[in-house]
Amino acid sequence: MSDPGSRILIVDDEAGIRRFLHASLESRGYSIHEASTGEEALQVVPAFRPDLILLDLGLPGMGGKQVTSSLREWTQTPIIILSVQGDESEKIAALDAGADDYLTKPFGAGELLARIRAALRRVGQQEGGPVFVTGELTVDLVGRSVRLGGKDVQLTPTEYSLLKAFVVHANKLLTHRQLVREVWGGAHYEDTQHLLRVNISNLRRKLEADPTRPHYIITEPGVGYRLRTESRVSAAPSNV
Amino acid sequence: MREEFPYATAPNLLTHLGTDEYPASQSKLSWKDRVLRLGEVPSTSNWPGVPASLAIVGLITITGFWIETIIRGSNFAILYMLAVIFSALRWGRRAAVLSAVSGALSFTFFFVPPYRSFAVTDSWYLITLIGLLTVGLVISMLTVAAREDARLARRREAYTAALYSFTNSLTSGNKLDQLLDAVARHFAEIFRRPIVVVLPDADRLTVRFRSAEMVFNDCENEIVSWVFQNGQEAGCGTATFPDSRIRYRPLKTAQVIVGVIGFQTKSSKELLSPDQRELLGIFMNQTALAITRADLAQKAQRAEVLQEADKLQTALLNSVSHNLRTPLASVLGVLNTILEDGAHLDLPTQQNLLSTAQEEARRLDWLVQNLLDMTRLEGGAIRVKAELCDVHDVIGSALHQLGEAVHSHSISVTIASDLPLVPMDDVLIVQVLVNILDNAIKYSPEAAPIEIDARVNAGQLEIRVLDRGKGIPKQELERVFDKFFRVAIPGAPKGAGLGLSICKGLVEAHKGRIIARRRTQGGTELAFFLPMEAKSE
Repeated sequence: MSDPGSRILIVDDEAGIRRFLHASLESRGYSIHEASTGEEALQVVPAFRPDLILLDLGLPGMGGKQVTSSLREWTQTPIIILSVQGDESEKIAALDAGADDYLTKPFGAGELLARIRAALRRVGQQEGGPVFVTGELTVDLVGRSVRLGGKDVQLTPTEYSLLKAFVVHANKLLTHRQLVREVWGGAHYEDTQHLLRVNISNLRRKLEADPTRPHYIITEPGVGYRLRTESRVSAAPSNV
Repeated sequence: MREEFPYATAPNLLTHLGTDEYPASQSKLSWKDRVLRLGEVPSTSNWPGVPASLAIVGLITITGFWIETIIRGSNFAILYMLAVIFSALRWGRRAAVLSAVSGALSFTFFFVPPYRSFAVTDSWYLITLIGLLTVGLVISMLTVAAREDARLARRREAYTAALYSFTNSLTSGNKLDQLLDAVARHFAEIFRRPIVVVLPDADRLTVRFRSAEMVFNDCENEIVSWVFQNGQEAGCGTATFPDSRIRYRPLKTAQVIVGVIGFQTKSSKELLSPDQRELLGIFMNQTALAITRADLAQKAQRAEVLQEADKLQTALLNSVSHNLRTPLASVLGVLNTILEDGAHLDLPTQQNLLSTAQEEARRLDWLVQNLLDMTRLEGGAIRVKAELCDVHDVIGSALHQLGEAVHSHSISVTIASDLPLVPMDDVLIVQVLVNILDNAIKYSPEAAPIEIDARVNAGQLEIRVLDRGKGIPKQELERVFDKFFRVAIPGAPKGAGLGLSICKGLVEAHKGRIIARRRTQGGTELAFFLPMEAKSE
């Protein structure tokens, strides 16, 4: 699956932002459709069938979080939230509701394109094989083994299921709540939250050369974590 | 000041005022005791010295029989006169009159022929008798006048002492609270009554002072307002609101009523003596004047503070508008140039212009973000959501956020291996680190080392950022955390002077503290400390 030609729906009430996104994305070969409200977006999605949705968080009327929840009832189309600094809790709520990623305004076109590519790649990868490889890291989901630079890495069962969650959703931003739900079942989010931090810390000690400059597990402060994959390694055979 | 106290219910006070007695040791008493004594009832009888003066007259009479052969007739009457003078000086008018009359009678009965009879046949003796009586009365009158003078002098002295002490305490401070404290203390000590002071405060009457034992409920407010509006007394012992246990008096200066003072009375017997009332009147006048003065002083000070704040605000606005306009001007300039002259510019020039605009726009964004953060901090809109965090993670996120900027310097990180998870709001602490590191990068030469160090120090998490930059002059170390303060270094990078003050706000929101130090080998050390235990808010 290749990026150009992918259909992107832009949902933002600011005409200036829509124009800028439209211009920069169209020039990269994406086909674009615009919506200025959440209600309009929900109407447009079934007809336009976008491959990806750029969704502004601060929409008038139906907010970004509600739009996300409504869409997730029937489609897994990747959603990237566009937010401004200050509405952190709204942003986390939208991510918890199923959005894939977020960008804080103002952002550069380069960063936007990188996020779009990563999100689209994830969709293409979902049917990926049982062995996940990025950089020096190899995770065999069938054999339940983890290797780093050719050496076996011993993980506790919790660390392994945490890493597995990252691998399954490679490149996706996973919120604290989503990770806790995935690994511990999420019954007691408040109590298990510090366990998450301890295990992330341990996992980094085992996988990262320098835990303060992690290469694989990246922190989004206050939001969650993502497993970063290198584009050349994660390239699917169909990619150019 | 006329009082409508029922005098008849306190006869002892009235009597006492005419004849009050002080023990010989009174000079040792403090002025407060003396003022208190103005209201006291003397314990001596109403006829002081009566038995003693009668005894003296009797003694003289007996002596008369014994020395009759030596002194006799009119000359002997002089001894009785001495007794009169003595009694007058010692016990006052009544004793003097009594000794004069009893002396005259004794003299007539025993020593004037015909003896053992009150009959007087010799007219010379009659003159002696009249003289004896007259002298007795005149002396007693003079004595009383002298004693009254002495009493007045003592009273004046007590008044002066009380007033001196009172006015002294009134002038000791210009703050209204101090003043009210002093007033309350003096009133309580001198008049021995719980008091309440009510002053107008922004259109409303508020209780500014109340003795602990004072019973003051909402019903009293009505009386207080009445007193304040009418400028007349009310409450206990007056015709207006006589049911109250408190007697209210207006505090007035020549022009206005500045407040109301209330005294609680335990019973109707516990009334003030006229002397005390007079003193109270003077105290009230002084208090009213002092309150007016304090009020004026406060207003003057407030005006000054407002003026200062106004000046500061103007300075801040100037700084902000300058800092906002400068990058905006570059962005607009670039855009106008490209829109109008784009055709005449070659591609590299256009690229160059655009990257300038991009840089300036980023600066603008950074500034707006800082201003927003500052506003939210000051408005209390920033909530610390403390969760146990990995310090590696926090430092890592800060370095990640700085992005490209960190590559220009060699940044080393040392984290104590035994460092546990520490409760903090990672988003906010990452921002603190980003701001500190941004400064360190901006203010130190390229490729200069920057060290980040985290460890536990005295039960707190200590994170230090050390650079080899230009350093902060010693006298400005404290001020770097002030809003809009910028270290005056020639050629220093542009900034609004908000970064470190935001850091301070964020660290303090975590109940931590932040300091800046000079490094001995040159450069700056910024350290902040966070508590290791989560404090429940």
